[in-house]
Amino acid sequence: MLRSTVLLTAAFAATAAGGCGRDRANPRVRPMPKIDGSPALRGGGPARSPRNASYKIEARLDPVRHTIAASETLTWTNIGTTAVDTLPFHLYLNAFKNDQSLFMRTSRGVRASDTGWGYIQIDSVHIAGADLTAALRAPAGAGPDETVVELPLAQPVEPGATIEVSFAFTDQLPEVFARTGYKADFHLIGQWFPKIGVRVGPPGAERWECQPMHANTEFFADFGTYDVALTVPGTQTVAATGVLTNAVDAGHGLRTLTFHAEDVHDFAWMADPFMEVMSGQAKLAGDGTVEVRVYYRPEQRGFARRHLEAAVGAIEKFSAMFVPYPWPILSVIDPPPEAAPTAGGMEYPTLVTTREDSVFNRPGIRRPELVTVHEVGHNWFQGVLASNEAEEAWLDEGVNLWADARVMAAIYGPRTSALDWMGWQAEVSAMARAADSPALGLPSPIATAAYAFPDHTAYSEASYLQTARALQTLERTVGSQRFAAAMKTYARTFAFRHPTGRDLFATLDKELGEDFSWYFGPVFHEVGQLQLALRNPQCRPAHPPRGVFGDGAARKTVTERDARDTGTWTCEVVVQNTGALHVPVDIELRFADGSTKQLHWDDRGTGNWERFVVERSSRLVEVWLDPEGKIALDNPVAHHFRLAGEGLPSLRAGAWIGSFAQTVMQIVGP
Amino acid sequence: MPRLGLGDLISAGPRAVSRYTGTLLAVFVAQSIVAATCTLAAALVFARVFAHLPMFDEAVDGDLVALIYCLRYNPATIVAIAGIAFGAVALWQLASWFLIGGIYGVLAQRPEGRGDTARCFGASGASTYLAYLRLALCALPGWLIVVALVYTGLDMVGERIAYAVTVADLVGPLLIAVVPGALLAHVLWTVSDYARVELTLRQDSHDPGVIAAYVRTLGYVLRRPVTLVHGALGWLLFGLVTAAYAYLAQGHPMYGTDGAITLFVARAGVSLLRMAIRFGVLAGQVELGRTRPLPPRRVEVKVDAKS
Repeated sequence: MLRSTVLLTAAFAATAAGGCGRDRANPRVRPMPKIDGSPALRGGGPARSPRNASYKIEARLDPVRHTIAASETLTWTNIGTTAVDTLPFHLYLNAFKNDQSLFMRTSRGVRASDTGWGYIQIDSVHIAGADLTAALRAPAGAGPDETVVELPLAQPVEPGATIEVSFAFTDQLPEVFARTGYKADFHLIGQWFPKIGVRVGPPGAERWECQPMHANTEFFADFGTYDVALTVPGTQTVAATGVLTNAVDAGHGLRTLTFHAEDVHDFAWMADPFMEVMSGQAKLAGDGTVEVRVYYRPEQRGFARRHLEAAVGAIEKFSAMFVPYPWPILSVIDPPPEAAPTAGGMEYPTLVTTREDSVFNRPGIRRPELVTVHEVGHNWFQGVLASNEAEEAWLDEGVNLWADARVMAAIYGPRTSALDWMGWQAEVSAMARAADSPALGLPSPIATAAYAFPDHTAYSEASYLQTARALQTLERTVGSQRFAAAMKTYARTFAFRHPTGRDLFATLDKELGEDFSWYFGPVFHEVGQLQLALRNPQCRPAHPPRGVFGDGAARKTVTERDARDTGTWTCEVVVQNTGALHVPVDIELRFADGSTKQLHWDDRGTGNWERFVVERSSRLVEVWLDPEGKIALDNPVAHHFRLAGEGLPSLRAGAWIGSFAQTVMQIVGP
Repeated sequence: MPRLGLGDLISAGPRAVSRYTGTLLAVFVAQSIVAATCTLAAALVFARVFAHLPMFDEAVDGDLVALIYCLRYNPATIVAIAGIAFGAVALWQLASWFLIGGIYGVLAQRPEGRGDTARCFGASGASTYLAYLRLALCALPGWLIVVALVYTGLDMVGERIAYAVTVADLVGPLLIAVVPGALLAHVLWTVSDYARVELTLRQDSHDPGVIAAYVRTLGYVLRRPVTLVHGALGWLLFGLVTAAYAYLAQGHPMYGTDGAITLFVARAGVSLLRMAIRFGVLAGQVELGRTRPLPPRRVEVKVDAKS
């Protein structure tokens, strides 16, 4: 008894010892970081954007209380054609202030904890020395939501005029949530300062676009320059948007780091006492280099290497496909695993966060790489092409996802871009299409404002996956090179502007030389899917007419013996589309003698089905809808059909099940 | 009675396998019939849904994307296949009480000749079946504790497993989560095995009673760690054979009819080898079971109704 007890106790003790967590040493003071020598725009040169919303910020982080005390001066120029008498500002952090914020209410109570709330408090507002703090007001109809505030102006800002607004504010960071906040010692600080809205609309009828923070919406802002001085303890490693232009000792163990960024529309930063940095260089074809820095905790070094390779590859490929990356540095933050679910996978100009560092994502399982490529890609699709993420989320998420598949294929190979592990291989878009195709039809079209979807699943299916599939279908239909050239023109035309979906469609129409409204209309603006199917394809021997013909004396009966089979086959295929979307589809018929016949069905305006009858010397053995796989909008399992069933694959699959069952049998029985 | 050591228990295995190869093969054939029935039923279900769809061929040949498409194409198929596999295992579980009773009987009584062996096997399996069934019910609370332990362990370390970035990060929490439950499961498994041995060996002479046999055996197993080590070695060997097969088979999809036949033969060989290992372990348990102190005889009072 004693020996058994000792054995069992020892085993328990060994497992408990093996399971002890990782202990961190106290943070050490870091060497003063080196100043980045490069200009804020790669190669310098003139402004590339209107730079009508520029910020100077001084902020001090208290990493123990997770607070930021800051002052901000916004320089805003009215580049519209109408005067402005009110300035709206985003106060995004207030989305995490209480459960009455619009974000929390539309997130269906995702926060269960009473701790870790975050908010931004405006301590004062001044314009030209006048204290306007008391004039701040909530927009009409805002209710309990505090993510937007309005400042009425005593004097309107005329077209072309510039105004300076000074704020003093305090942030209480939330426990990291929706990609901002803290988790233990890690701080990711985004959407943390009062940010002015954007004037949109046609000349003469401009209006403010300053959406409150909804559950599914991201951000929209004007371009400008940012000069941000961050005061932090000397123990912190800091990464931020832009380039580091100054670093000085601020006394009491603190230091002030000043960052400068140009032609960006946001500023985010990260502070962590345990992060290390790994850097590499992306070489742009004939256009210089970009330094890529990955910030990671020591235990994540292996993943940092993978993120670095992915980020370098992404910058090179996206630059070649669209416009060259305009800034000299890109920072990739690899959050600690416990923070990654809520801090990872977010994009800010020149700074992105990644995720998916997990022991289960072995090398070759490219989920971490895909996240990095996707977030880096956002430096084009919304960083440079600054579309309105609240109103047209698909324009950055979905277009970016479409581009990600191409970039991943270029970096990791076309057949292994998603997976190359233990003999399993898969390509990114095929994998996403197979794994994530919606079980139910989408209730809203792709071109729906992010806040107008009924739930997050509908938003993400439409904005990410369905958009990528729609673009991929068009790409394969018109040809990959033509489509890529058209997308490049779109990127070059609208870089550092605020393109809309209409701009994208118009560019594609023009560059592809065809009016694609028949496609863009239903695919992007209507509810419904493409549901192609074959209805009972069949083949029978052909023969002259048989039966009774004529009347009276002329009546004649033609029997099987009289009208023998001709030796040919009459084959029928009915193709149907019961979905709301209609695209032309190729059909390939394969015959027993190895020959094939190509058909084409364009159901636009012709009904929901078509019967094809073919007479042939050999019988039909297979029918294949869309044999080249151009259509990414439908589940392709039943697109390829053989008339005679094949049993061997089923037997092999059954044998695997039988073998598995036998293994379990041997565990439960003899 | 000589005190048997681990070497004696292990060496009893090959002896029994060589002496009662026919019994081993007969049980293996019975199991293979159940497995083959499961195979055919699953194949029929697959064929009904996928025989006309070439994408299923690609899925079976190892195309992961095609496999995902097919799994999502008709989820009811997956439920049906799972039901078939579960049914086969449940059927085998019911049959196993008879078969293990038969094996223990043969190993205990050491009959000579095919006919005597078959008779002994059948008689022992039949006579202990209900006792084994009651034993399984008796062991049930212990198994519920195992489930609770594993569930609690996983709940305790689930977050750490989810956030593990290295194999070292994973192993510790996984051990905490699984080892206590696994150890208790092994103890319960061994106790059940030795309680069956006792019921087989002493049923006629001492009628030890199921609950009494289980409780007595629990004490015996905890006093004699060799029982646990011997059983663990058997499972280790079982796992090694399975892992070796999985390792060797990986990257060899074995396409076509030839491949299918090769695969069938290889799987049958692996299953036979594992069954021989289990058979050998049972033989060692019988050897040790013989040396256990005899259970107390139950006093049976017969009342003549007429008197």
